[in-house]
Amino acid sequence: MRPVTPRSTGVVLLWLLLVGFLLLGALPNHTASIRLGGLPLLWWYGGVLAPLAGVLATVRWLAEPRGPRRDR
Amino acid sequence: MTAVSRLLAAWLTPAMLLAVPAALATRAGDGLWLGLVLLLAPLIALGGRAGEGTAAPRDDRGSLFSVVALLITVGLLLWANIALAGDLAAWLGAPRWQGIVVTAVAGWGLTAWRPLRRTAPLLLAIALVAGAAPLLQVAWATGLGPLAAWERVAGQPAFRFPAASPWVTTGRPLAALHGRAPLVFEEVHRLTAPAGGVLRARTLDGTRLSEIEWTLAPGQSVALRAGDELERGTPVRLRFEADKRVPGAPASGAAWSQDGPRRWLDRLGVLITLLLGAVALLRAGLPVRLSRDRAGLLAGALFLAFAWAQLWTVYAVLQSPDLFLGGVTPERFLEVPGVALFAEPWRRTLQAFMLAAGLALFLASSVALRERLGALDRTGGGEIGRDRGLWAALFGAAALASLWPVDPWTLTLLALGGAGCALAPATIWAPPPGRAALGTTAGVVGLVVFATLAAAQLRGGGGAVLGAAVGYPALAGGPAGAVVLWLGRRRSE
Repeated sequence: MRPVTPRSTGVVLLWLLLVGFLLLGALPNHTASIRLGGLPLLWWYGGVLAPLAGVLATVRWLAEPRGPRRDR
Repeated sequence: MTAVSRLLAAWLTPAMLLAVPAALATRAGDGLWLGLVLLLAPLIALGGRAGEGTAAPRDDRGSLFSVVALLITVGLLLWANIALAGDLAAWLGAPRWQGIVVTAVAGWGLTAWRPLRRTAPLLLAIALVAGAAPLLQVAWATGLGPLAAWERVAGQPAFRFPAASPWVTTGRPLAALHGRAPLVFEEVHRLTAPAGGVLRARTLDGTRLSEIEWTLAPGQSVALRAGDELERGTPVRLRFEADKRVPGAPASGAAWSQDGPRRWLDRLGVLITLLLGAVALLRAGLPVRLSRDRAGLLAGALFLAFAWAQLWTVYAVLQSPDLFLGGVTPERFLEVPGVALFAEPWRRTLQAFMLAAGLALFLASSVALRERLGALDRTGGGEIGRDRGLWAALFGAAALASLWPVDPWTLTLLALGGAGCALAPATIWAPPPGRAALGTTAGVVGLVVFATLAAAQLRGGGGAVLGAAVGYPALAGGPAGAVVLWLGRRRSE
């Protein structure tokens, strides 16, 4: 069985961000169209929150871990 | 050229980036999905387990297959972007060939002349500044922040021709419209042909549909009624009436802002195509290792590109609702919106900024794609990336093909989908040691399935589920290649 690495955690999170958009759009009664601060929920999520969360997840989990410092 | 700028430039071609505002303007929900996938797909692709990117087939035949597949992909991407330049030239009133020649010659010159090959980071920086400056200027001149501008667009009772629109003041040739939406009028609309010409329309007389052709003298007008449809393709220059509904536009701002009928399979098709394409274009055969700084830079730049696309769409729709005419196409977003916002020569300067941004992005992409192809050519020592004759042929063929209008986004999807089906399965799921040919077999099968469905797409057809596979052939081609890999791995275990 493959070990769970920070990279796989990051990839799963990015997938969840995509799935979240589809789920939000699937909510009944046009819930995604409810406006919050002038902007619909779908736009807040797909245009602002999910992209920002994607950037943070990339920096936190997808970057290569720094190697051990080699002192002379 | 740094790894981040190479990845960014190879991924964010102008045709790719401008597809987001075009989709956002057409249907906000679909545009948001496309933008989100465009941002996250390369990150997911690069986030695969470290080291797997180096697992490209190491035998000569496998390497040749990868190189040929990527060469075709690069050719298609160049074609899409040079065709976009031709569309832009036609939209701005210049001959189509001028836009094509300028981009093709500049692109070839940059890839052929060795000292200029390391200019991609600079070109990306130019594109960023030249794209951001008009956006800030339009926002400042409009006097509305992004949220207020969005609310203003969503609150529009209808999208109407502004009095200062070029379609109202001087008129534009009908042949400049490449959109797919029918030019159906929703109210009585008087059209004027300043230079005269032949105009064809399908008119609705009660329940009877009839085709009418008018030969108009210079300055002569004709009135179309609600339900009448104008035929496109005629070169006649037309002037529309100010304050009338734009044919092809959404019914209202509210209708535009709502997530319309959900097309799950289409959204899945976009996701799979771009994801497999990102794996093939950015990772196949390359060891990609991103430090925290580089990962942040890459993700941040993708976020900025998506943010620019959203803001530019909102201000463009607010200031120039005439961009809906006959269906939204990407080249319209390289024109500075709101004719009345800026006086000359400031407007011309901002327009020059937009053109510089588009050209710089294209040139950066050309350099990055050439480097990408060279990096995959292990047996030839990267020679393919330095072959001037080959690149001249590639740019020449793309330029020649671009003389006929094609949809740049369809070409981009074909390029990424084909590359994804050919290269992604073996990149994601490396064949066992000593069985590199298995990856090639899987790629060939995936590519054949993809090509078959793409051919069916050109002929048109398919039902609900089959229609999605025909519309997005990577939905079937990618899994087909993966199944071949899975079967081959089982046999070798």
